[in-house]
Amino acid sequence: MNALLEFLSFSDPNIRYVAFGSVLLTASSAIVGAFTFLNKKSLVGDAIAHAVLPGICLGFIMAGTKNPVALIAGAFITGWISLVLVEFITSKTRIKEDTAIGLILSVFFGIGILMLTVIQKSGNASQSGLDHFLFGKAASLVGSDLITFSIVAVILLVIVFALFKEFSLLAFDKDYARSIGLPVKRIELVLTSLIVLAVVIGIQAVGVVLMAAILITPAAAARFWTDKISVMFLLASLFGAFSGLSGAFISYTAPSMPTGPWIVIVISTLAFISFFFAPNRGIIGRFIRQSRIRKTINDENVLKILYQLGEENRNFFIQRLPDEIIRRRFYDKRALVTILKRLARQGYIERTRNLWGLTEEGKSRAQRVVKIHRLWELYLTTYMHIAPDHVHEDAETIEHLLTPELEERLEQQLGYPKVDPHKSEIPYGNT
Amino acid sequence: MTPALEIHDLTVAFDRKPVLWNIDLMIPEGKLVGIIGPNGAGKSTLIKAMMGILPLSSGYVKIFDKPLDDIRDRISYVPQRESVDWDFPASVLDVVLMGRYSKLGLFKRPRKADRDAALECIKKVGMEGFINRQISQLSGGQQQRTFLARALAQQADMYFMDEPFAGVDAATEKAIVTLLRNMTAQNKTVIVVHHDLQSVSQYFDWVIMLNTRLVAAGPTATTFTSKNLETTYGGKLTLLTDVADLMRRENYPSREENIIQP
Repeated sequence: MNALLEFLSFSDPNIRYVAFGSVLLTASSAIVGAFTFLNKKSLVGDAIAHAVLPGICLGFIMAGTKNPVALIAGAFITGWISLVLVEFITSKTRIKEDTAIGLILSVFFGIGILMLTVIQKSGNASQSGLDHFLFGKAASLVGSDLITFSIVAVILLVIVFALFKEFSLLAFDKDYARSIGLPVKRIELVLTSLIVLAVVIGIQAVGVVLMAAILITPAAAARFWTDKISVMFLLASLFGAFSGLSGAFISYTAPSMPTGPWIVIVISTLAFISFFFAPNRGIIGRFIRQSRIRKTINDENVLKILYQLGEENRNFFIQRLPDEIIRRRFYDKRALVTILKRLARQGYIERTRNLWGLTEEGKSRAQRVVKIHRLWELYLTTYMHIAPDHVHEDAETIEHLLTPELEERLEQQLGYPKVDPHKSEIPYGNT
Repeated sequence: MTPALEIHDLTVAFDRKPVLWNIDLMIPEGKLVGIIGPNGAGKSTLIKAMMGILPLSSGYVKIFDKPLDDIRDRISYVPQRESVDWDFPASVLDVVLMGRYSKLGLFKRPRKADRDAALECIKKVGMEGFINRQISQLSGGQQQRTFLARALAQQADMYFMDEPFAGVDAATEKAIVTLLRNMTAQNKTVIVVHHDLQSVSQYFDWVIMLNTRLVAAGPTATTFTSKNLETTYGGKLTLLTDVADLMRRENYPSREENIIQP
């Protein structure tokens, strides 16, 4: 706890560097990555991330030190070459994109590891720490790195901001973008360069291996919470920043820990939470909605049976034993009583000991269901020429689903008919 | 009078396989034009090629007597509804605003005036009740109308529409046709890829009948004949298809490159 407070006070300049740096890296990667996600090119980020490793080694060999500019330049070059190769293979051979990406990714990464090993065996003292690029180490960020990375991050953000509408249009509808004469190829080139840049600075914190997660996961998680692209980008950057900060904290308290895996665990947890708990799109939200629908269907079916029994006796308010309902349509008795109790709670049914009957409200709700059922049967037979003995099943679902507007249109189109195809009377409100 | 659109010897190939052969075509201004033909006849390919979305293997396209790049701001495109992922995080207004991007140019954000123009077009297609609706929550017909509103927002003189009636209910189809009629009345040229042969003579002033090559093009009254229909939809030219397949398999260029002898 003390460590957390100490960390969050940012009193130690080192902590400031590390925290600020990580947040900058992860947030800007998340923003650029959101476009990869919207373009459905998630794997491309992974390919670039792996392909920058030989570039970093190359930069180191050329400069002789861990000069960030040299490393970035090297990484940028090989990252780009990998993309050009993927494109070349996809367009000139019969190999599909996913195979080409897999191929390029492993070849470049293999070469990178090879070079890294050679450098480590070379005895150059300044090479120590180069292996941090594999899994990332936020704690190794120092002041001078921070300046370089801040500049790159600012460039990224400015370009994304300036070309936001073009990038979104390209992700949504590329043909249309071409038709209005946007320089599609050049804009794509800019976006790809941004991805390469984001990867190049992001790997400092996360490492080559897990970089793709930091590009894609924040956007994937953010998508669950919103349908607005601006909000999605804001959330993605917040998720990214939060995971970056947590990674920096862990890197600070447990220096032997690699940062990358921790950042990925944090962001993945956020993604899982979104996946399950986001309203509307989340799994639990969906589950709740489905079970609510199931309840509605059960409730309305029971009301409907009471109504139909009432039709036979010409009295809708007779109270009956549950067995009478079961004789009409099979229910597990206990389940049926649960439904009846729920309907009684909602005021649609009245109960006298073991006898249950419709209330006025229950009757009108049941009547609406019956009406829609019979109207729909009639609609299917008149307009779609389906045989009368085939229409019941269809109407069973429609009766619970139809909105009042559609109900009205149905009534009007059929001209308020009196009876359905089976000669049952169609009941309208209050008549 | 110069035609609104002129195509000369247009050939388009995918993966070296020609899908459109040597099309020559002229369309006069202010007409509602239908492109018809069986599946795989190259209808969508033709309008994409007309707008320069696809590279041409040969030939040229002139619109209002100018090359494409000079009159981009006067043409507008409604892609096939299925060509985009409607789960994209955008609202109806967001999509229609895209129609203003060509006027805005790079880097600039939509201005208030662009919003007004977009809202106006949304109203024209009867979508004013759905301005902020997420686009995946729309019915097929509503999505189609959103695309139409986006094209209208461009305020162009020539419109290319790829199956604007696909997945649309009868009432919407009627509304769209009325809208297109109003546009041609204002001397705009509207070119529509169309599937339903029943409505061709009722909707279109001009037809282009296509089956990997041009069968016929001209005023509907004289062109949309049973003889032309038979050629368009009747026997496939199997020899033509086989030759095209061969070109793809053997990696032949669809046009010989100019080889300069030393």
